[in-house]
Amino acid sequence: MNKKKPDLSISFCGKRFINPFLLSSSPVSNSAEMVERSYEAGWGGVAYKTLVSDRIPITHPSPRMHPYHCGEKKLVGLQNVEQTTDRGLKPNLRDISYLKKRWPDRIILASIMGFSNDEWAELAKACDAAGADMLELNFSCPHMAVEGSGCKVGQEHELVEKFTATVRKVTRLPLVAKMTPNLADMSVPALAAKAGGADAICAINTVKGISEIGLDDWVPKPNVFGKGAISGYSGPAIKPIGLRFIAELAMDKRLGLPLSGVGGIETWGDCLEYILAGASTVQVTTGVIHYGYRIVEDMIEGLSDYMAGRGIASVEELVGKAVGRVHDTGRFDVKRQGSARFDLERCVGCGQCYIVCRDAGGFALEWDAAKRRPRQEQDKCLSCMVCSFVCPVDGLISFEEMPSGWKRRPTVTLG
Amino acid sequence: MSELKSLDAPDDAGFDMPAAVAEAGRCLLCHEPPCSKGCPADTDPGTFIRKLRLRNITGAIRTIKTNNILGGVCGVLCPAARLCEKECSASGIDTPIRIARIQRFLVEHAARIGFKPLEAPASREKGADKARVAVVGAGPAGLSCAAELAKAGVAVTVFEARPEPGGAMRYGVPAFRLSRELLRSEVSDVKALGVEIKCSSPISGRGAAEKLLKQGYRAVFLCPGLWGETRLEAGPRPAKGLYASVDFLATLAEDRRTELRRKIKGRACGVIGGGSVAIDCCRSALRLGASDVYLIYRRSYAQMPAEEDEKVSALREGTHLLALNQPVEYLGDASGNLKGIRLCRTTLGTPDTSGRRRPQAIAGSEWTLDLQVVIEAIGNKPVDDARGWYPTVAVREGGLIKALSADGRTSNPAMFAGGDIVRGPGLVVQAVQDGKAAAAAILDHLSRKRGPCAKERVAR
Repeated sequence: MNKKKPDLSISFCGKRFINPFLLSSSPVSNSAEMVERSYEAGWGGVAYKTLVSDRIPITHPSPRMHPYHCGEKKLVGLQNVEQTTDRGLKPNLRDISYLKKRWPDRIILASIMGFSNDEWAELAKACDAAGADMLELNFSCPHMAVEGSGCKVGQEHELVEKFTATVRKVTRLPLVAKMTPNLADMSVPALAAKAGGADAICAINTVKGISEIGLDDWVPKPNVFGKGAISGYSGPAIKPIGLRFIAELAMDKRLGLPLSGVGGIETWGDCLEYILAGASTVQVTTGVIHYGYRIVEDMIEGLSDYMAGRGIASVEELVGKAVGRVHDTGRFDVKRQGSARFDLERCVGCGQCYIVCRDAGGFALEWDAAKRRPRQEQDKCLSCMVCSFVCPVDGLISFEEMPSGWKRRPTVTLG
Repeated sequence: MSELKSLDAPDDAGFDMPAAVAEAGRCLLCHEPPCSKGCPADTDPGTFIRKLRLRNITGAIRTIKTNNILGGVCGVLCPAARLCEKECSASGIDTPIRIARIQRFLVEHAARIGFKPLEAPASREKGADKARVAVVGAGPAGLSCAAELAKAGVAVTVFEARPEPGGAMRYGVPAFRLSRELLRSEVSDVKALGVEIKCSSPISGRGAAEKLLKQGYRAVFLCPGLWGETRLEAGPRPAKGLYASVDFLATLAEDRRTELRRKIKGRACGVIGGGSVAIDCCRSALRLGASDVYLIYRRSYAQMPAEEDEKVSALREGTHLLALNQPVEYLGDASGNLKGIRLCRTTLGTPDTSGRRRPQAIAGSEWTLDLQVVIEAIGNKPVDDARGWYPTVAVREGGLIKALSADGRTSNPAMFAGGDIVRGPGLVVQAVQDGKAAAAAILDHLSRKRGPCAKERVAR
């Protein structure tokens, strides 16, 4: 039996994308030569490296990135002090024209950042003329060296609205406003962008952070000749933050704009989570920095297989499917309780569960030293499940709902 | 010795998901992966490990099965340490990634979750126009060739002499080494592509292969394997207690074990040879309950062609290694039962044509070892009547078919050949590649035959 191939194409701001997988505006989308190779690998489009006017030349700090390795796991995060493009405006515009002519089915979001109201307008017109499909307004770079730009704009909703409106006046291209996560409530700048005429919201740009401080020189990294900075942090470590903002924006009935999700995406599963949280397209940089453009092959194949396995014909059916399943914690049914269930047949006797249950759980495990096995007192189990997080055997410890009326023993009081 | 090991239960459970993911986590995800270049069948570990690493598990399975229809079997049987894993860049840091185990895991996982990455082509040519191809032998070369042809929409019939498909994988490799379940599952993948496998259907008689062409098959792929026995020249042979490895292993595989167990249990057993088959015989004899199993080999441990891990397994399980000993003659009792073997000690001289140092008998060193059973595992050759099946196909000395290794073409333009019948005893993964290469050549042949180039082909 031949199944129909799932359709990964998707509409976003009236444009048809062959798939929802885009490069985000960053070093991975720095030139047509690079972007073209990403297209060959299968990416559906690109948010081109942010363009600025030639008025203020951009020179990147050196070095400009630093990896955050967690144990033997490489690049769980990436710190960077990268600026906007350091290429001239004209070569970049020529590159955009080339890409659009050569690859008409791939969508280019020209990312722009003005350092004044006029510059926003000029950049927008120039990109429109060069053939860009959409504009992404960069209100969110957390470490711009030029005063009054980047996320400093994104944190001032009046400026967001003003610059968006400026651009809206000079072009009919769809406008995507890219948000910074370095604030408490993203709905304020997102609604301001909408008021200014934005057609979609992109979130998130990098999270402000310090990933590592040199223990010998006490300089945060990257160490730029003796100086460090609080700067943009990205990669798998920030995915939960990105998902949170996308879900919040998707749930905000006042907004009602399509979303592009960014933050920590490496696998098709990550992409799908952003889509379920409400994003129509997803954007990737750190994943590409870690693995190269080739990861899109696994996004396409993995998501297609997932959809085929569930009989989902179009990826559009999946957008926002998790939104109705996000609730305030106050709405949880706490009458229903469960506990950890141990399948000790397969236990290897490491005892990690015992350690964490005593030190972080409910004291629900005893230790049989002779047999090297835990013994559970189920009525003390808090169902925090930390035992299962450290267990090296897949599925040995699972969560099980207890019958109604089951009572947990109270915590012991000393003294 | 404690409890006997099982003849059927695989002695190695393989990876589970966390172990496979952790091992993939060690992979360096090389550019132009050297491991992929190390696979004779282009199974492309560099890609499937990257896919596993990026949690594209179905995609990883698809890569394996698309490239190698017997990817699971190869994951078990491949001597990976001298193929893909030998090329692994991680060796420069620590040990190579255990590629074969990851490969095996992914294929077994596919069966567990019911994921079928390959589908029979939707539209096939119908009726008289439909190209039909015959494959002689359902071993790894035949199954691989049949699968490739079926994927291209060709109707394939595989003629298999034995009751079940698999060839050497089924009747030459013990079940404790390759699980029958895994083999069956991979054979069913071939069948699911639309391949017809006719078991218990040997071809026989002079010109039997050529007759298939007359019956309407447009091409024939010959891959009957090597099922003839090479026997030792060691004087008179007692009637009872002597086996050839081919028969011994096939008897075990056919589940005709009761008789064999009765003959071997509690007896001293010798195995002559130093290759993988000899090792399989030792380990099988131990599992049948032999009191002692002696591996008799005329060179030294290092020269044994068997893989290192196999040799170690056999020794660990209790095989006694009699290296630097060669058989002189068998000793039998009055009723024709084997009762011992005369051996003589050897030293190693200068290298022979195989590059290994030549064993030389030490004069006066002969000694007698009491044995009730001996299994000769010194090689396979084509069965005697194979030559008669394809008189138009040129063969080399020893009966192996002359065929181009790149595409399996023989001296008859409609006959192709691959696997052990061409290269002599080889690896499953090589046979898979032979099948793939021959399938491409057969497809080329079929397209030419119907096109304007037909005359040109005939003239060749």
